[in-house]
Amino acid sequence: MSKELIRLSDCVVKFDDEIILDHLNLHINDKEFLTLLGPSGCGKTTTLRIIGGFLTPTSGDVFFDGQRINDVPPYKRQVNTVFQKYALFPHLNVYENVAFGLRIAKVPDGEVRQRVTEMLEIVNLKGFEKRPISALSGGQQQRVAIARALVNRPKVLLLDEPLGALDMRLRKDMQAELKRIQQELGITFVYVTHDQEEALAMSDTVVVMDGGLIQQIGTPEDIYNEPKNAFVADFIGESNILDGVMRADGVVEIFNRRFQCLDGGFPPDAPVDVVIRPEDVDIVSEDQGQLKGTVTQVTFKGVHYDTIVDFYGFKWLIQTTDYCPVGSRIGIKIDPDGFHVMGKSAYSGLFGDYSSYSEEYDEIGDATMEPGGEDGEDEE
Amino acid sequence: MKGKRNGAGRLLMALVFLFLYAPIFLLIIFSFNAGNSSAVWQGFSLDWYVKLFQDRLVMESVYTTLLVSILATAISTVAGVFAAIGLFGLKRRWRSPLMSVSNIPTVNADIVTGVSLCLLFAAVFQGWGAFARWFNSIQSAVALPTRLTLGFTTLLLAHIAFDIPYVILNVSPRLRQMDKNLIDAAQDLGCTWFQAFWRVILPEIKPGVVSGALIAFTMSVDDFVISYFTAGSATSTLSMTIYGMTKKRVSPEINAVSTLLFGVVLVLLILSNVLELRQEKLAQRKSALQNPAEYRPVRSHSAAPKVTKAPWFRRAVAVVSVFALVGSVWALASVAGSQPVVNVCSWGEYIDTDLITQFEEETGIRVNYQTAESNEVLYSLLKSGGGDYDVIVPSDYMISQLIEEDMLAPLDYSKIPNFSLIDDQFKNLPYDPDNRYTVPYAWGTLGIIYNTTMVDGPIDSWSAMFDPANAGQVLLINNSRDALGIALMYLGYSVNTTDGGELQEAYQLLADAAAQGVYQGKVMDEVYQTMEGGNAAIATYYAGDYLTMLENNEDLAFVVPKEGSNWFVDAMCMLKNARHPEEAHAWINFMASTDSCLANLDYIWYGTANREAIEAYPAYYEELYGEELDQETFDIIQTPPEVLERCEMYLVLPKETRDLYKKLWISLGV
Repeated sequence: MSKELIRLSDCVVKFDDEIILDHLNLHINDKEFLTLLGPSGCGKTTTLRIIGGFLTPTSGDVFFDGQRINDVPPYKRQVNTVFQKYALFPHLNVYENVAFGLRIAKVPDGEVRQRVTEMLEIVNLKGFEKRPISALSGGQQQRVAIARALVNRPKVLLLDEPLGALDMRLRKDMQAELKRIQQELGITFVYVTHDQEEALAMSDTVVVMDGGLIQQIGTPEDIYNEPKNAFVADFIGESNILDGVMRADGVVEIFNRRFQCLDGGFPPDAPVDVVIRPEDVDIVSEDQGQLKGTVTQVTFKGVHYDTIVDFYGFKWLIQTTDYCPVGSRIGIKIDPDGFHVMGKSAYSGLFGDYSSYSEEYDEIGDATMEPGGEDGEDEE
Repeated sequence: MKGKRNGAGRLLMALVFLFLYAPIFLLIIFSFNAGNSSAVWQGFSLDWYVKLFQDRLVMESVYTTLLVSILATAISTVAGVFAAIGLFGLKRRWRSPLMSVSNIPTVNADIVTGVSLCLLFAAVFQGWGAFARWFNSIQSAVALPTRLTLGFTTLLLAHIAFDIPYVILNVSPRLRQMDKNLIDAAQDLGCTWFQAFWRVILPEIKPGVVSGALIAFTMSVDDFVISYFTAGSATSTLSMTIYGMTKKRVSPEINAVSTLLFGVVLVLLILSNVLELRQEKLAQRKSALQNPAEYRPVRSHSAAPKVTKAPWFRRAVAVVSVFALVGSVWALASVAGSQPVVNVCSWGEYIDTDLITQFEEETGIRVNYQTAESNEVLYSLLKSGGGDYDVIVPSDYMISQLIEEDMLAPLDYSKIPNFSLIDDQFKNLPYDPDNRYTVPYAWGTLGIIYNTTMVDGPIDSWSAMFDPANAGQVLLINNSRDALGIALMYLGYSVNTTDGGELQEAYQLLADAAAQGVYQGKVMDEVYQTMEGGNAAIATYYAGDYLTMLENNEDLAFVVPKEGSNWFVDAMCMLKNARHPEEAHAWINFMASTDSCLANLDYIWYGTANREAIEAYPAYYEELYGEELDQETFDIIQTPPEVLERCEMYLVLPKETRDLYKKLWISLGV
């Protein structure tokens, strides 16, 4: 891609004695769509607030275009933010909300009018100028918030769970819209979300965070296909994660059975985590199966069935278009590229078992808001 | 069935409202009374309002009240808003306890707040005095004042202190309703913190700020107790002045003031309610618009690219108004500061206020005239350092106590030529045997006031005060010295006795009468209403006050009983630490003049010690009212020598006796 624009170097944030960010290193390139993804409390909003200037790291440096900006207040940064719940000014109408930044910057009236009109056109809100904020729907408010930030022509736009308050349908539309705007204007977007689908669909780069640490940085494909540890594997998509032993390069052993795989580079007989995505498992008849198990639960999901299968006491999730009734014995087959082998980590053993499977999956807070929960701050 | 219940409900409602508002209506009605009674309607007139606006003391205190309230409101609103924002920014762990602490003053008893502020100021002044003396001693370039006193500044500080919590209380909920991110958003869009405050926070919390300021203002206007303890001797708020006016009797002037005050508060209340209502309507309309399908154009939101007034214009207006305010306060302070002043503390309704104006015009000396409730209150005020007076007018026994405690300054009688006009019988009295400290102001006797239509035949003995035949019709004076004194006199003992046995006997007499239900109650100033309205037959009170009651009820009569009575003198003295001795002497001399004594005599109907005035009064009266002065009335004002002969003056009692008085008085409990 292009040149580096923002760099966070060894940033630590502590509230009282609680570590919110733990020696974070991150760089963001110009015109990049970068997403900070993680469960609430992982430090993603904190990271965003550091870039926005609302928070000074306890230690570590923030660079913008090569300049250290730790002590630059928010109003002097070439960065604008779209806040959770939008934070529109209720006492101003749509036009004045969007014009706010320009008026502060003392832009001449004529130019203000031209830029605001232009921006409202980009976000499809032409004709809404005189409406009070309270007369707008959630999606409209969302777009005012984006226009209000972008009208200032920032180098970077920070978005803090901007779609969190919208319903599913609107969210999908806005995802596409945001991506379009980003490409049209050529601005760097730093996007915070806990919704992995959103992250995968929009980003150039995804940063998966948990516990104040970056777990993995990569393209959406990398993150999905080559998760670095059990946390990432579980958080991004659905995964069956099993204890295994790497017998040799290309040979992994689970349930005392050896399987062919494509991974290597581990010392011989190293204990590993093995990820098998539910869609990579083929169901075959029992006698043809590499592994044999009993179906314990079946849920129809439209495109496929979520089938829970008990293999030697370990329950897997398998997504298949073949219907297998509960209680039936089945065999499975997995291609070598269906295995993904990861070294052991602190997350090993915590995820990837579907014994307590519920139809909701174990996604985290789908479309729910955790207002400010990440900052370690109190809320009413 | 239902209708009936509704009827009963309405009746109950009406009764509740009647109960709530009847007193105020009564007050408003009597503010238009032609007479000076608070019980008898004598026709409609606006006299009391006219009198009110001509009363310099009242008008000045109105001014003080408005100034202090407006300044305190302005300052406490600014301070309170920022305090609320500060509290809002804190973590909850700190915020909750801090909020509770900041709310305490609103629920704390005013008296506690007042006294503690008074103590604080006294302590600070003391510390300052020590510092200033030290500072002045090490250098001579700048002379710092070593003595600070309570006054407008302390009053203002006190008001600011008790107003701030109300502002915080009103602003905080607004802040809590506000999206915290708004401030971040504003800063994100290029605002400094202050710009964010002006452009975003303030518009959001404005309703809270306005209602907070309104409440602070009404609290300030309304406050009496805290002001009383922090205003010092030279400053009086309206409520303090009203209180001073009620000490002797509720003058209809007070009704007029109170009516106006009630009106102002009512208007403010309506104003704040209307504001709130409008806010609510706006919010409703907004929420109705929540659904975009129902969108209708809103007129309150004007076109966006509207040409607003240039910012310099607004700034200029702000600067000019600030300067005007500061300038007027400063000008006022400097006028007050450069003018010679005398601080006087007297009793309520104890002067013809025209005399104050006259004195000021003649001498150019400004009079700060305050009143105390009783000798004892005055004494404790002086002891606590709260009363920074030059001239006080205590009664005889209190004078001897003050002399004993070295709190009075000897007078320079060469500066009081009018002292020569004082009749010899009022010189060298027991409280000031060598007459070095005092000039008599007024004097009078204690006696029985009775309603001739309610008792059989004229009364001439204290026995009427103990007679079971008058059960339920007698008002006992609510003051241990006078009440026990009456019994002592009836028993033939001296009112100054220190004999425990005699006092015990006097007590028994009162207690027996009380047990037989003779006394309707213990009263001081309520005596006016009760006697004027014919609600009691017999009372003990002072001669001059009897004449005031007589104006409203012709059936009343007064007698100094044959056993004798107490006679008292209130005399002008100067305090030892008086800051304006020259002016104090001028005031004392002025008040001792024949003209002043005549005017005062006619106004308060207490006796005067000025020989010329006594002689000139009948002629003065005739000229003023066009009718001859009734000898009987004159004898009540100016008790004739043969009556005075059987009267005794109170002397200061030794501590043990005072304690015994206290003990007996408490156990009496009528």
